[in-house]
Amino acid sequence: MSQSINQIAANHPAPDITAVSDQQWAHRLESFAKDARMHEDNINLPASAAAKIGRPMLVVGLLMLVVAAIGIFSISFKHALAGIEIGVFTILAISLGSLFWTMVFHALNAGWSITLRRQFENLASLVWIPALCLIVIAIIEVAMGGVLLTWLDPAVRQGNHLLEVKAPYLNGPFLLVRVLIYAICWIGLSQMLLGWSRKADETGDRTLGRKARWWSSFGIPIFAFSATFCAFDFLMSLDYRFFSTMWGVYFFASCALGSASAVAIIMTLVKSAGKLQGVVTEEHFHDLGKLVFAFIVFWAYVSFSQYFLIWYANIPEETMFFTARRAMGFDWLFKLMLIGHFAAPFLVLIWRPIKRSPKLLSLMGIYLILMIALDMAWIILPMLNINDAAATAPSVPGMLIHAAGALGVVMIFGWFVCGKITKSPLIPTKDPMLHEALGHKNYV
Amino acid sequence: MPNIKELISFAADYFPMVFRKPAPKYVSESGNRVYGMVAEFHETPKVYHAAEMVRDAGYSKWDVHTPFPIHDIETAMGMKTTKLPLMAGGAAITGVIIAIILQWGTTAYLYPTVVQGKPFEAWEPFVPIMFELGVLLTAFTCIFGMLALNGLPRFHHPLFSHERFYKVSDNRFIICIESDDPKFDPSTTRALLEKAGGSEIALIEDED
Repeated sequence: MSQSINQIAANHPAPDITAVSDQQWAHRLESFAKDARMHEDNINLPASAAAKIGRPMLVVGLLMLVVAAIGIFSISFKHALAGIEIGVFTILAISLGSLFWTMVFHALNAGWSITLRRQFENLASLVWIPALCLIVIAIIEVAMGGVLLTWLDPAVRQGNHLLEVKAPYLNGPFLLVRVLIYAICWIGLSQMLLGWSRKADETGDRTLGRKARWWSSFGIPIFAFSATFCAFDFLMSLDYRFFSTMWGVYFFASCALGSASAVAIIMTLVKSAGKLQGVVTEEHFHDLGKLVFAFIVFWAYVSFSQYFLIWYANIPEETMFFTARRAMGFDWLFKLMLIGHFAAPFLVLIWRPIKRSPKLLSLMGIYLILMIALDMAWIILPMLNINDAAATAPSVPGMLIHAAGALGVVMIFGWFVCGKITKSPLIPTKDPMLHEALGHKNYV
Repeated sequence: MPNIKELISFAADYFPMVFRKPAPKYVSESGNRVYGMVAEFHETPKVYHAAEMVRDAGYSKWDVHTPFPIHDIETAMGMKTTKLPLMAGGAAITGVIIAIILQWGTTAYLYPTVVQGKPFEAWEPFVPIMFELGVLLTAFTCIFGMLALNGLPRFHHPLFSHERFYKVSDNRFIICIESDDPKFDPSTTRALLEKAGGSEIALIEDED
């Protein structure tokens, strides 16, 4: 007895040791196989069912991108790119947030979320779409000498003391290198985690979860740094004079909120197709709703703290960020963020029955993803005007182009998601802790 | 909603010199107020099903005492969700409104004061106070509301006069039906507890 304990203690740091004995594990696999809820029909979504939603999304998405492409010629390339970038950052927030949640669930050994985890993994593994978009955008920015990122413009750099000082970080080649590093980190982590999860479905190898847990612990700081610096590079540096140490956390709040909302939407659609009956119940939606609610409050806390300190300190190089976003015809968006991104969803989601209702929670999810897109619009669009001496207040055709670009990107991402969820079972079928998620219940 | 009689009885526990407990419904042979009737159970499933039977018989003022938490006993007992969240929500809204009135009223309306050249009615500096006051009142309401709803703290409980009750911290499950319950009747309640499988059924006297 003491010998075996010593053996376990000696082997404990290795990632391939699990807490479940072979006998226990065989017993659990047997009980999963016997469980009527784990029948193949219940945990697999046929491609035809997903296409019912996916195909209209693809059509709308392509149509919207065509409209955005028209905008290149009718208004300017800058405006069309701004619209696309709003969409890219919305889907980046959704997929990066999913990567974050997947790693948190692994690192904390979460039992309740096992049946939701596959959808987080699926969304995370689609991070290659926004990552590819960002690489293309970065190449365009560098090649064209700064479209939205004015600090890349040689005319702006000429004799600019601030940019001379910041040159070691704010320069074209380093931007491209950084974007590549972010893409490698995100795609590598998400593919690794999804790959192990799928492999465990086939082989029933329970050491893979242990491996995922080990890597997730390192993945969380990697995610934190890459997401922060990506937000610095593409959003904060839209105005190269502005700086905020809260910026990465501000973007992260959108990530965590957007992904939890997206998973609520996916799960509701899957359940309305008659799948996952008894596997994902209102108890799971309740906890997912709690996460959504928490990150609404977190977003408000972070964004207000950032605004409040800048407002009180009144230092010109910081204040101009908000002057541009409150005075140049975007004040309504600022007020909409206050009420629509915080106060209204806070008062709605605080009610327990709404969190427990899949339909209402997914409606709130769609609304919140819209709010995240508007938040990105509020960050990006005012800079089009402030950097352009000839620009006036936002015009209706310009806004239509922005909306079309953003909607196009999000819809095409939705089509990819619909394709992705049919590729593997909707839940990890042989996770060592699956029984915890299947019997999950909120006692409060 | 507690009726006036219950409120007086509640207050009398704390201020016996001010309030007198209402006349008891049942009095024992020795003249003491009857608190309720207890029955003992030896196994978890038995007490669970007994709780279901008591719930279905329509009793409202009763409780199950166990040595450890039993999952789902609240559904077996038919317990309703607590009113505490609503009270806390009301307190939060009250706190926020008080904060707005106090700050806006003083700095923008009664004594307009220039601070750092900011507008009088700027809402930004109000937000931390709105948050703080909302949280403060919510926390107070949660703590004191919880104490008011569960009747704590108290020096004594009538069940402690029952020697066998102490076994609930060891190896017994006890169901206690209070005599304040409108459905309480010494003979039918005893019959119900017997039918539910309880043993050592006894009346508890309140010795005060």
